[in-house]
Amino acid sequence: MKRPDMTDSELLVQRFVDQELSAEERVRFAVQAGRDEALRSRLIELEQLALDASRLPRPAVPDDFVARVIERSAPAQSLRQRMIQFLWAPHALQWNLAGAAALTCLVAAVIWGAAGVGRFGRPAQRAAVPGSMAAETATAGNSAQTVLVRLVVLQPGARSVHVAGDFNGWNPARTPLEPSEGGAWTVTLPLQPGRYAYQFVVDGDRWIADPFAAEQNDDGFGSRNAVLDVRVLDPTRASL
Amino acid sequence: MEDDVSLVRAAQRGDSDAFGKLVARHAASILSVTTRMLGPTADAEDVAQDTFVAAFKSLGRFHFESKFTTWLYRIAVNRCTDVLRARRPETVSLDPTDEHGAVAWEVADEETPLRELEQAELAWELDRAIQALPPLYRESFVLRHVEGLDYGEMSEILGEHRDTIKMRVYKARTLLCQSLAHLNGALR
Repeated sequence: MKRPDMTDSELLVQRFVDQELSAEERVRFAVQAGRDEALRSRLIELEQLALDASRLPRPAVPDDFVARVIERSAPAQSLRQRMIQFLWAPHALQWNLAGAAALTCLVAAVIWGAAGVGRFGRPAQRAAVPGSMAAETATAGNSAQTVLVRLVVLQPGARSVHVAGDFNGWNPARTPLEPSEGGAWTVTLPLQPGRYAYQFVVDGDRWIADPFAAEQNDDGFGSRNAVLDVRVLDPTRASL
Repeated sequence: MEDDVSLVRAAQRGDSDAFGKLVARHAASILSVTTRMLGPTADAEDVAQDTFVAAFKSLGRFHFESKFTTWLYRIAVNRCTDVLRARRPETVSLDPTDEHGAVAWEVADEETPLRELEQAELAWELDRAIQALPPLYRESFVLRHVEGLDYGEMSEILGEHRDTIKMRVYKARTLLCQSLAHLNGALR
């Protein structure tokens, strides 16, 4: 393409710099440049500019550039997710003697009270994971709102299997499953009633949705999350 | 070394380590473009970061119709255009020694001190002249001659016909030769 204000020789120079000339055109151009001092100077000027531009130093990438991008790319967590993460993360607590003694008395009182209630035969509660073949129901723990949920996945040949989800801050290394017979891997999680998206992480880098989950959703990155719906069953049904 | 396609697929599955590798691999190129487009200010680094964050959030919509780098360049150029449109002319810094100049430059260490100084001065002059170009000429010249892209890839990035881009590069070269004429014989 030639601009109206571009001479034929200027067009030739520009095409030469862009390396668009055919072999024949390059020969003709070299002959022409040998005879024409102005054309030669123009060519050298443009070639020098292209060379200088290609040698421009690259800006130094700050050491923390990658870390800051990753930090900013992390999905924002809801208040509930942050609370769950806080509750399950290890914390170092410091106590004074008086505080520890007071807590001991309080715990003793609670245990005594709970034992008294137990004598009257309060029924145990059961967790329900409707429709899921891989997640089994389990007996509730001591807390009325904490439900033990067992996840099972078949991965014969895997070296490790973890589960990452809303309940552990999507940390792929925090919650390992234990291998059992027949290539099954299992873990039992104490969960509050609610809905949790999760995936299994096989051998540290292969993310898979629970193939037997009753419900799945889009994770926004082209894969599927399994969804676990943890509910406390009606005690009268649980006792059946 | 894993190629971009493998890393992008892993990142699309939620592997943040894979995405980190992509960022580390392409940070210098993207920062180079944003710095040449916006000048060596804190904006340039912010926009480079924004480019990767936006890419991460849109990874699910990236279906390999183009190279990953082409897609990254397109995001970076569009972000630079937005910043330039929002900027008032008086806030544009052309001075690499500006106190807000958060971006440091790497200089090849195999040069002799005198040659190194001349190269640094030449680079400073050329950078200043590039940043004085009209933005459309600037982006075309930077992608063509600083980043070494071909016109086909530039056409994908800029969404313009190849001939239009060639004409912008031609105009940029002509303006730069005029701006740098005083250096002929002095530094090169």
